[in-house]
Amino acid sequence: MSRLRLLSGPDLAAGSEALNAHVQRLGPLPAVGPGLFDSVERSGLTGRGGAAFPVARKWRAVSAAGGGGALIVNGAEGEPQSFKDRTLMSLRPHLVLDGALLAARAVRASSVVLYIGEEHRTAQVTMARAVAERPEHELRHGRVVLAPARYVAGESSAAVNLLNADIASPTTRPPSPHEGGGGRLPTLVQNVETLAQVALIARYGADWFRLAGRRGAAGTILMTVAGAVTSPGVVEVEAGISVREVLELAGGATQQVTAVLLGGYFGSWVDAASAWDLPLDASMLRERGLTLGCGVVGFLPVTSCGVCETARIMEYLASESSAQCGPCFFGLRALATTSGRIAQGIADPGDLARLERWSREVRGRGACHHPDGAAGLLQSALTAFATEFQSHPAHMGSQVA
Amino acid sequence: MSDQLLWYTTRGAGAVSLVLLTLVVVLGVLSSLRYQASGWPRFLTPGLHRNVALVTVAFTGLHVVAAVVDPFTSLGWVSALIPFSSYYRTFWLGLGTISAELVAAIVVTSLLRRFVGRTAWRAVHWVAYASWPLGVLHGVGTGTDAWSAWLLGLTIACVAVVGLATVYRFIAGASDPLAVPRADFRARAAKRAQS
Repeated sequence: MSRLRLLSGPDLAAGSEALNAHVQRLGPLPAVGPGLFDSVERSGLTGRGGAAFPVARKWRAVSAAGGGGALIVNGAEGEPQSFKDRTLMSLRPHLVLDGALLAARAVRASSVVLYIGEEHRTAQVTMARAVAERPEHELRHGRVVLAPARYVAGESSAAVNLLNADIASPTTRPPSPHEGGGGRLPTLVQNVETLAQVALIARYGADWFRLAGRRGAAGTILMTVAGAVTSPGVVEVEAGISVREVLELAGGATQQVTAVLLGGYFGSWVDAASAWDLPLDASMLRERGLTLGCGVVGFLPVTSCGVCETARIMEYLASESSAQCGPCFFGLRALATTSGRIAQGIADPGDLARLERWSREVRGRGACHHPDGAAGLLQSALTAFATEFQSHPAHMGSQVA
Repeated sequence: MSDQLLWYTTRGAGAVSLVLLTLVVVLGVLSSLRYQASGWPRFLTPGLHRNVALVTVAFTGLHVVAAVVDPFTSLGWVSALIPFSSYYRTFWLGLGTISAELVAAIVVTSLLRRFVGRTAWRAVHWVAYASWPLGVLHGVGTGTDAWSAWLLGLTIACVAVVGLATVYRFIAGASDPLAVPRADFRARAAKRAQS
């Protein structure tokens, strides 16, 4: 992969890039003019936290609502298989801070908050050190807020709730943070990778951004490759490349791959044959009813069982409920217990039909999107592993993708 | 003799309906507290509430039909359908008519739940709670046997059971079933010390 952008520069093994090296390589922080909104808009940049919301539209909403709120630099990365946000913060902290300053100035945010997972110590230390290096006054008043190590804590409304109400519980109740949710000042919550992309777009423009990308997709994306691959970890790829190409970038498969988990735990299982040629781009996947999520691609080896793996993920997601509503707390618990029974080979005859019905019924009923994401994953598993779910033998010690 | 049989049937089915309707109300109250979710036997579910309710409908129907076709009373179908239209104990019989129609409304909306929507179905269910006190009053006011010791005892027992269930519903129902897990999440997702 020759088109490294976010991760270009010094050898990645050398660790975080210092401010002077960063400025020498990329030049100083560009001034923010009216052109930045247009560049971001023409680039087509979408959020890289998982929802792929158009960045320019979010910025315009915050500006239209008057600005003046906080910019939350979202590096919480609650997705268990994802490492790209903490990797980016640990290696290129100044690219993230550049993007944060540009965004904060563009939407006239009053303060900058760095929101980093409490368990991601390296990222915390690197970002704090990088902030100390910066001369900009916005960052001197900036602060680091630690995200609780919960799956839901990285969701943008959860981040806002943690700042405002001291509890990282997500919500779908409108208006959303960028529209001034909860009677507060409009808050811009933006993923760290998104901001790093802004730092490059501000320097090189939208046309440059769109030079990268295949099959009509634009820019590069950071992906975390997991599962049965020779070198799992974070790679920067051109948007729109295929699942097969990402597998090659990660050194190829260590075993025969039977299925691919696209987009993390709120994503979808796709059987390997259908997965190889899928384009890794948020909007192209959405057209196919799939999601890129925060860029996790997991490869399930033939020695692992998709049913067992799905049951394990459902158990995790049920235990990560914020218990705001019954559909999530009781519904996901029921989905997890029932898929667990099938995985253990002790299922009732009606369990599979129940799973299918419940995973349809629970969607759209939650106080946030947590039950939707979990039910979506289960539904994709029921399709991708249809035969395995129908007659699943009890087997212990199956490997985790 | 057939007159006698119909008359006994009317009274018997009325008493059975009272007991069954009481059971339905109690099961409804208990299932609204989600007993099936806290380790109770699986038979104590909304399914039981529904099945007992259907048996109640059958006995209520028998009670009404037997009363109407009884040539001795000659109540007529009109008094079974239009409340307070009966020459015989106009008021008390009218209460029974309303009570039976409320039960019928639940049956109809439950069968057509897909079409009437959840909100309307729920609203009908709430209004239909009234069928129980109306039925009790109808039994006390109209009942030939109302002041016999056994039916009086039965009525008092039914009122007591529903009263207890309702009181329990308000005490236990006030507690949030999600309170404990929510507090647990709060403890694990609260703001940490800032660095």
